[in-house]
Amino acid sequence: MSPSAQAPIRHDFNPYTENGGTILAIAGADFAVIAGDTRQSEGYNIQTRYAPKVFRLTDKAVLAVNGFAADGNMFVKKVKQRLEWYRHAHAKDMPLHAIARLIQTMLYAKRFFPYYVYNILGGIEEDGTGAVYSFDPVGSYEREACRAAGAAQSLVQPFLDNQIYFKNQQAAPGSPHPAHLPLNQVLALVTDSFTSATERHIEVGDGLEIYIVLAKGRNSNELESLKGVAEVTTASEAIATGERLFVLRRELKKD
Amino acid sequence: MTRLVQIEHALAAVSSGTTSLGIKASNGIVIATEKKSSSILVDDSMIEKVSIICPNIGIVYSGMGPDFRVLVAKARKSAQAYWKIYGEYPPTRVLTQEIATVMQEATQSGGVRPFGVSLLVAGYDTNRGPTLYQVDPSGSFWAWKASAIGKNMTNAKTFLEKRYNDDISLEDAIHTALLTLKEGFEGQMTEKTIEIGVVTVPAAAELVPEVGGRIKPSFRKLTEEEVRDYLAL
Amino acid sequence: MSIMSYNGGSVVAMVGKNCVAIASDLRLGSQALTVATDFQKIFPVTDRIFLGLPGLATDVLTLKERFRFRVNMYTIKEEREIEPETFAHLVSSTLYERRFGPYFVEPVIAGLGKDNKPFIAATDLIGCLTLPKDFAVSGTASDKMFGVAEGLWEPDLEPEDLFETISQTLMNAVDRDAYSGWGAIVHVITPDKVITRTLKSRMD
Repeated sequence: MSPSAQAPIRHDFNPYTENGGTILAIAGADFAVIAGDTRQSEGYNIQTRYAPKVFRLTDKAVLAVNGFAADGNMFVKKVKQRLEWYRHAHAKDMPLHAIARLIQTMLYAKRFFPYYVYNILGGIEEDGTGAVYSFDPVGSYEREACRAAGAAQSLVQPFLDNQIYFKNQQAAPGSPHPAHLPLNQVLALVTDSFTSATERHIEVGDGLEIYIVLAKGRNSNELESLKGVAEVTTASEAIATGERLFVLRRELKKD
Repeated sequence: MTRLVQIEHALAAVSSGTTSLGIKASNGIVIATEKKSSSILVDDSMIEKVSIICPNIGIVYSGMGPDFRVLVAKARKSAQAYWKIYGEYPPTRVLTQEIATVMQEATQSGGVRPFGVSLLVAGYDTNRGPTLYQVDPSGSFWAWKASAIGKNMTNAKTFLEKRYNDDISLEDAIHTALLTLKEGFEGQMTEKTIEIGVVTVPAAAELVPEVGGRIKPSFRKLTEEEVRDYLAL
Repeated sequence: MSIMSYNGGSVVAMVGKNCVAIASDLRLGSQALTVATDFQKIFPVTDRIFLGLPGLATDVLTLKERFRFRVNMYTIKEEREIEPETFAHLVSSTLYERRFGPYFVEPVIAGLGKDNKPFIAATDLIGCLTLPKDFAVSGTASDKMFGVAEGLWEPDLEPEDLFETISQTLMNAVDRDAYSGWGAIVHVITPDKVITRTLKSRMD
């Protein structure tokens, strides 16, 4: 058979890949915590030990993205751009629930070539409550008290069910389970979740970035006593009046 | 009745074989045999009459050398097969029973004759501690505190009966073994004409596997130097 | 669809202070359809050893009989009860015998050895042994149980605390697993008794 008679070889192009990592958000009564590890991998390769997956959108909204990193970064960029337009048009930051709806619209707009990304949005609602919104890649979303997503979702979510929602635990008579946990307990659960996930999942590790959004007027004493906390609130006058945003960085095992 | 006669022949082969004996001590077991070659021209370093089966078990025989060799090979294989299943070497009793079954089958199968050997099996296991068994060509086996097989067995047993007590130490047992062999020994008793194997009861710490998963052997053969030292005393 | 998760089911074992615990769910399914909610996958081997067999239900039943046979033969031949370490090797070699046509189960073993030493082990479907110091998980909710156990377990738990830890680990994991759940059973093996409790859990 002559070479020209050979059957043509088909080369498929796959536009997606998985970049590992895990994200997690928990809503408190007057705060929200949004966290993610910083490892980015493809298969068994670690591409970088520091690739943030959690982003400040406004002083009261933080978005965590997990899945295909390229899509995630592009998506965050576009959301930020839309929020800037909103600021120019309305001279204020978009409310959290509106950002959630915007994200749904933006994700569904690409229903037939989706951003391969799981989003978790956390922050402070207009009524001053802590809120977490979780999304699927095509925009289906709901408001929850806590959510884990990504490579170690299956490891972390049942742990959170137990520790946040008190699933399978019976309350002692006369003292019902609290609807929201205090900040120090939430931070402890977040770090425990990530150290556990790091221990048992190869795609999780290296570093941990925890964003903490405090509602208007909430005191920040317990945060300031913690090591490795930095305030990243942008609006300078907000320190006295608006929501305040902090980031807490922790090391995770690198193996 | 032919089969019974065959066993008689096998027992006769044992009784004309060189003497072997075993003594159980409070802290171990000794098995010993005389090693006699038919000619001074034979390289006696090649003759092995006390054989290690697995790290915790050794055996000695009286009777036909080639038959013993076959049984040693089968016993070693059986010990390894056991290890492959359970991750540990067989207890002395289980290994003895395994050998005894092989020997019994030779009394009943077509085209084969019984093995012309009696064996003394000495070993240590966590279940029963140090134990000493004798296996005969018929396939029957018993546990002994002390026993002798081979040419001089009757005299040797009488000797052992007089010498034995329950709290004899391993060191004393080795000397008693040599003393017993000396009775009716033809020629010079040297490290070249004596073979000794000992079981030592391991301390609790020695039962924990070291890195690599092996535990210290509890059966070993004495070197020629060690035998010479015992003979000198 | 994997054969390993055709019937569903999960098992977990944990080490405590002079005690061990082993627990499983009770579901038997045919893919997404739940067929039975009283399907035992943990079996007593001796008074002090339990064997958990999550995986293909037909192989679960076959193997529990095979191990019963082999352990009975061992007990008669050796005139003693099998030790947990020895039994773990027996499980391993029995599975490896079928290296190229395996039983579709991933066993978990829990027991007390000499001097009441806690022992747990797990193997894959061809018998590769792992001997964890803390806990062993297996079955369709194994990744979930890893996550919860890693967060809840701590060393030297007393029997009652170990019971609570293993129960919470199992229940919260199987509640996130469509193939496991519908009630659970827990055995805590202590030097003088075995505490067995059945748990009610979410039925969905």
